[in-house]
Amino acid sequence: MICRLTVNGTPWEGDVPPRLTLADLLRDHLQLTGTHLGCEQGVCGACTVLCDGEAVRSCLMLAVQADGRSLTTVEGLDADPDAAALRDALVAGRGLQCGFCTPGFLLSALALRRADPPVDPARVPELLAGNICRCTGYGPIVAAVRAWLG
Amino acid sequence: MKPAPVAYRRPESLDEALADLAELGDRARPLAGGQSLVPLLALRLAQPEVLVGLERVAELRGADLDGDRLEIRAMTREAELERSAALPPLLGAALGHVGHFQIRSRGTVGGSLAHMDPAAEWPALALLLDATLTVASARRGRRRLPAASFILGPLTTALEPDELLEAVTMARPDGRFGFAEVERRSGDFALVGAGCHRGRVVVFAAGPRPQRLPGVEAFLRDGGAPGPELQRRAHAEIEARDDLHASAAYRRQVGARLVDQVVAAAS
Repeated sequence: MICRLTVNGTPWEGDVPPRLTLADLLRDHLQLTGTHLGCEQGVCGACTVLCDGEAVRSCLMLAVQADGRSLTTVEGLDADPDAAALRDALVAGRGLQCGFCTPGFLLSALALRRADPPVDPARVPELLAGNICRCTGYGPIVAAVRAWLG
Repeated sequence: MKPAPVAYRRPESLDEALADLAELGDRARPLAGGQSLVPLLALRLAQPEVLVGLERVAELRGADLDGDRLEIRAMTREAELERSAALPPLLGAALGHVGHFQIRSRGTVGGSLAHMDPAAEWPALALLLDATLTVASARRGRRRLPAASFILGPLTTALEPDELLEAVTMARPDGRFGFAEVERRSGDFALVGAGCHRGRVVVFAAGPRPQRLPGVEAFLRDGGAPGPELQRRAHAEIEARDDLHASAAYRRQVGARLVDQVVAAAS
């Protein structure tokens, strides 16, 4: 099925099988392997990307459902000053070790920062509960994101 | 795991979608936001021949939240409702428990109702608020069902294979209410949950489907108040099941406490 979308500002068009998830399209067809796959059933949050500005699980969306949408993956954050400040905060606060979960946390946190109405920083622990990290114990990530949200 | 091969249709209108379902019957599954069905496809617990993607069906989108009677069309996403200034506080409180915010970006009201997970919030809300569900088919036209007749059991509703859930309507919930859940982690499915509004009391995630507690409601009508007697009645009335997350005894015990809390919050 023909699928047309915009990924990190660049239009893409291709013929994809309907069973292909958006995560697999990004990783295997567009070679954007910064989107990580942990559980592939919507639990771990590692595959979080932005779809028309909203954080979504790319393993729970078929590529054909993303037709006509604009997507941002971790590769699209290189020139984003907000994302740079968040990366610095995570590094300075030891908010990552192995880094597997980090792309998902970055995109979830960016969606929270741009949410309208703005999110209350006190809700950060609850709102980040949809992303699993097996290294840090969450405290450093929550502290870094909370400080960055201001 | 990856979903099995499947065909995809993308109807552009409600009539087209209903025609697809009338043609395909139980070989097809409608796909709304996919937050429940896509994991089932990935785990190969669901293997339809055809998915009927509803993302282009304009008649199924949007919600009217301004009047005394609310209408939420089936493809309305939870994130859209959360952003609406007209959203009644009871629905706002319950929505905060629906998955994680990334799930609510894609998850739809109709998808949750039609999927009927016993632990999901929307079927419980529909029962609590005495909602009416409008379902449509190409052959038989529309029928309107009260939530209590729509909800049959785990992953089971009154929807026939050729029918689509079109919209849910309900009187605007106003005044005091209670809504509470016990979950292992914020955003996880409830181990047990409860709601109370205008004298109606519902427990969910305990048994095979959300359950009204008529005995507790009668106790409240007769002037009963939160406390040990109300908890005893709730405990006796709650239908609970064992699974790997919690025992039936735990669910009854915690559910009775939650009922006490939500009744207190609503009174």
